[in-house]
Amino acid sequence: MKISFLLHNAYGIGGTITTTFNLAQALAERHEVEIVSVLRHRELPNFVLDPRVSLRPLVDLREEKEHPLHLRPARVFPRSEYRYGQYSELTDQRISEALAAIDADAVIGTRPGLNVHLAGQAPPHVARIGQEHLTLNNHSPRLRTALRRAYRGLDVLTTVTEADAGAYRRRMRLPGVRVEALPNSVPDPVLPAADGSAKVVVAAGRLVPVKRYDLLVEAFAAVAAEHPDWQLRIYGKGDEHDRLRQLITDLGLWNNVFLMGAAAPMEAEWVKGSIGAAASDFEPFGMTIVEAMRCGLPVVSTDCPHGPAEIIADGVDGRLVPVGDRDAMAAALLELVGDDELRRRMSRAALENARRFAPGPVVEQAERLITEAVSARRAGQPVVRNRRNTHLAARGFAARDTALVAASGALRIVRKGRP
Amino acid sequence: MDTDGRIIFEVPEAHGRRLLLRLRPKKGLPEETLHVLELNSADEGRARAVLAADPVLTEGRWDVYLLDGFARTRLRPGPRDLRVLVDGHLRDRHAPLAVRVPYVTKDGFLAVRTWLRPAHAEVDRVDVTGGALTVSARLHGASLPAGAEVRLRLRRETGTVRTLEPLVGQDGRSFSFTVADETLDMGVWDMFVRPAPEAPMIRLARLLDDVADRKEVFVYPGATAAGIVVRPYYTVDNDLSLDVKRTG
Repeated sequence: MKISFLLHNAYGIGGTITTTFNLAQALAERHEVEIVSVLRHRELPNFVLDPRVSLRPLVDLREEKEHPLHLRPARVFPRSEYRYGQYSELTDQRISEALAAIDADAVIGTRPGLNVHLAGQAPPHVARIGQEHLTLNNHSPRLRTALRRAYRGLDVLTTVTEADAGAYRRRMRLPGVRVEALPNSVPDPVLPAADGSAKVVVAAGRLVPVKRYDLLVEAFAAVAAEHPDWQLRIYGKGDEHDRLRQLITDLGLWNNVFLMGAAAPMEAEWVKGSIGAAASDFEPFGMTIVEAMRCGLPVVSTDCPHGPAEIIADGVDGRLVPVGDRDAMAAALLELVGDDELRRRMSRAALENARRFAPGPVVEQAERLITEAVSARRAGQPVVRNRRNTHLAARGFAARDTALVAASGALRIVRKGRP
Repeated sequence: MDTDGRIIFEVPEAHGRRLLLRLRPKKGLPEETLHVLELNSADEGRARAVLAADPVLTEGRWDVYLLDGFARTRLRPGPRDLRVLVDGHLRDRHAPLAVRVPYVTKDGFLAVRTWLRPAHAEVDRVDVTGGALTVSARLHGASLPAGAEVRLRLRRETGTVRTLEPLVGQDGRSFSFTVADETLDMGVWDMFVRPAPEAPMIRLARLLDDVADRKEVFVYPGATAAGIVVRPYYTVDNDLSLDVKRTG
């Protein structure tokens, strides 16, 4: 088969990019695979891409940032999408043209706005697979309403967790669309796993408020007080950097907590640690948790929606603590820091249990989904499995989202009406 | 890297090729110092070159190339397994100290950061309480008899020097000192320890872990007193200096 991925920006750093590269590379073993990157802002991607996967950018921001069409707002890409500000009439046009001319058997969209393009604009013979790397609950009512309409044009919709797949089935009425959880995969590490002896806790991700590195730093204060030879290393960059630096200074943690900057890939950094940490308020999947576990690190994470609880077995290969609870996070870290044997046992369990996220099983499932979608397209049939009727419930949710959208619209009109 | 301080480079099988390390010259100057390593076949179609622990590389940044005759290809890094370096400050080193940390350049190539020092004072903790600044460090490749001095040297032609008395641990290697001097001149002060009056000065630095560029990662607050801020910071060479400024 020929498979195309439609990606926001293959040249950045982030979970969606990593997982798309991983899946594309694994599929390239047996199929012809390309990644279409809507945006490009630098010469080479941060992650080295297997040469068997071709990469095709649509808008090169280094030359086209001031393109007249790029200065006009997008009309196809939904206004309520998180990245709307980065899209334009130019992206509308280039994506539409790319889809119209596509010679792939299946196209895989990797974010809501791109799935909307895909669902509405792919030629009839092309199988349309939408991937959601975020979650339905986190989408605004307005975006949910837009997707409820658009996603009916998809053949398959994949989420990264069972919890989110459940939410889509319950709350969206998508007749003829197969909704299935397809977890992100993490390639087999090249380096030997961590052995649990390093006195280093490692966290990684963009430095943005939702990741709650502030909470992690505060929790680590308790660890540093009891175990001054332990350090916390936070990898990533982002707008929170200066605030975190100030927090580290205010708490007197400059000998123990370090903002390491971005590292891609992270593997060589994970194996320098012996505990992974994630303090997010919200984590659609939790790619870094799986990465850390695949390198032999038990992970202490908040039990936030949706990913962590589907990855970590609490007390077996890591710890799950309540969201936003600094003391619980500190206690869980201290427990692992203070008990070498427990840490090593959980490290072995993490290695073993995280194998289900190896490309093998995940790619097999993806391949099956793609194949079924392609044959269904060819036969002119939907790809749904039999499942119980949830239409009534979904209709209720749709009405509520519409009401919420209408209400916020009315509020805006009222505000606008004020002098 | 292994615990003996050797660096093992692994590349795809490369018949008849060698590995070239080139000391990066200052901007606009020609390259002068090269070091060539033999590549030997290893398992699974790979080849390996070993940079032994002996101090053959001078201090600086070395770019890494694959050498085929006279043709060079600059190498991009695979995973760099540097875990043995993380607690490197816990192992005592002998003189002279050869420290090497493989790293990735800003434009994504493999390079090796090297230091070569007759002796070295490895900074451990830096504590700031109000107007006082306490630095803990450990000496490698030398020891501190009674009468050792910490010297702060103003980085200006005047070469102004302030002398402090360190608190030396029983092993004659660990020491600490406190800077609480409201009369320091504005400017940058480099920090040294001098074991004896005639002995060479030993620079305070932090070199013995996996962090090749420390300046933006190990960041300390300043000690503020009597209208001046004394802020310790790591230079681009990972040496520790003091930046003295007026407040406000």
